[in-house]
Amino acid sequence: MMEYIDNIPIYLQIKDILYRKIISNQYELGSQLPSVRQLAVQFSANSNTVQKSLKEMTEEDVVIPQRGKGNFVTEDTGIVEKLKTHIVTEMFDATYDKLHSLNMNDTEIMNSFNNYVKQREVNHEQGIGN
Amino acid sequence: MSKVLEINKLNYKKNNKLILNDINLSLDNGKIIGLLGANGAGKTTLMRLITGVNAKSSGQISVAGVENKAARKSCVSATYSLDGFSKSFGEKNAKVRDVLKFYIDIYPDFSFEKYQEMAKYLEISCDDKLVDLSTGTKEKLVIALTLARQVPLYLLDEPLNGVDIMARKKIIKSIIQWKGDDSTIIISSHYVKEISSLLDDVVILKDQKVYQVSPVEEIQSKYHLGIEEYYEKVYEGGLNDE
Repeated sequence: MMEYIDNIPIYLQIKDILYRKIISNQYELGSQLPSVRQLAVQFSANSNTVQKSLKEMTEEDVVIPQRGKGNFVTEDTGIVEKLKTHIVTEMFDATYDKLHSLNMNDTEIMNSFNNYVKQREVNHEQGIGN
Repeated sequence: MSKVLEINKLNYKKNNKLILNDINLSLDNGKIIGLLGANGAGKTTLMRLITGVNAKSSGQISVAGVENKAARKSCVSATYSLDGFSKSFGEKNAKVRDVLKFYIDIYPDFSFEKYQEMAKYLEISCDDKLVDLSTGTKEKLVIALTLARQVPLYLLDEPLNGVDIMARKKIIKSIIQWKGDDSTIIISSHYVKEISSLLDDVVILKDQKVYQVSPVEEIQSKYHLGIEEYYEKVYEGGLNDE
């Protein structure tokens, strides 16, 4: 069962999950997406809601509907690349603003991020899960 | 979009006490609507009136354009408790197949095929005795019987009550899987959070009246509230319209 955030429209949350699956290649470029009903059951969500997510994804050219066949992921790598940049930027936006509010300057933020990544690598090598 | 349900100036009294006061409600085709309200707010009463069961009320109710009470019954499929069956078939012997046979005999719109698909998914066996069914399986059976009828409007009254989490998930998934695109489902439940991803709109009953029909998406985007918080706020009277 999906865990949704209560006060954010479900169609946006479903869109976000589908976008992540496309970026991470779980749904490959040019491949067919499950039917609306299948997605609805999978997401425990209303079909109208899933329909709305797909409609917006179509408007953003990430999903290409083919008449009588269903919905397909775009084959355009440029579009998916842009999508990825967008999502990564969104995540960094939030983190960057939070770090700034701790009175860190850009150099300090860069350094602490570098250290963080190194530490993660060490942890990974030592088999310490995170 | 055509209207699956239209209620105008509906009043209902029981023992001289006003239960529903001037209810007006108009619902579009093809949606899943949550009917929320405190215990005793009149959710079950409203559902029974829509089905045409309760006797004395004033005002108009039409389902898919049909106003006549007897004719309306073939437009609505509502959840009924299985207790009545256990009694009429003899407490000990009634089996799932007896109830199934009853439904097939009574309702020309009952799809055996659809029932079988659901029964398979929900793991309901025809040979089980009603008395042996767990609360969860009983509710699953009620849902399968109710949704197997092919009608414009389904009324599910507390289909998750007393049901464990796994069975609740399965019931929710089967509602999504087997709801026809053009049909409408009204569902009442105290598990507001769990059904919220299922709903297009919510209707809140409060002080014998319909508070309003609100699209779930609007509640989330306009008020930045979850359905449960919104519902509580409406009840506390603390929702300010911007």
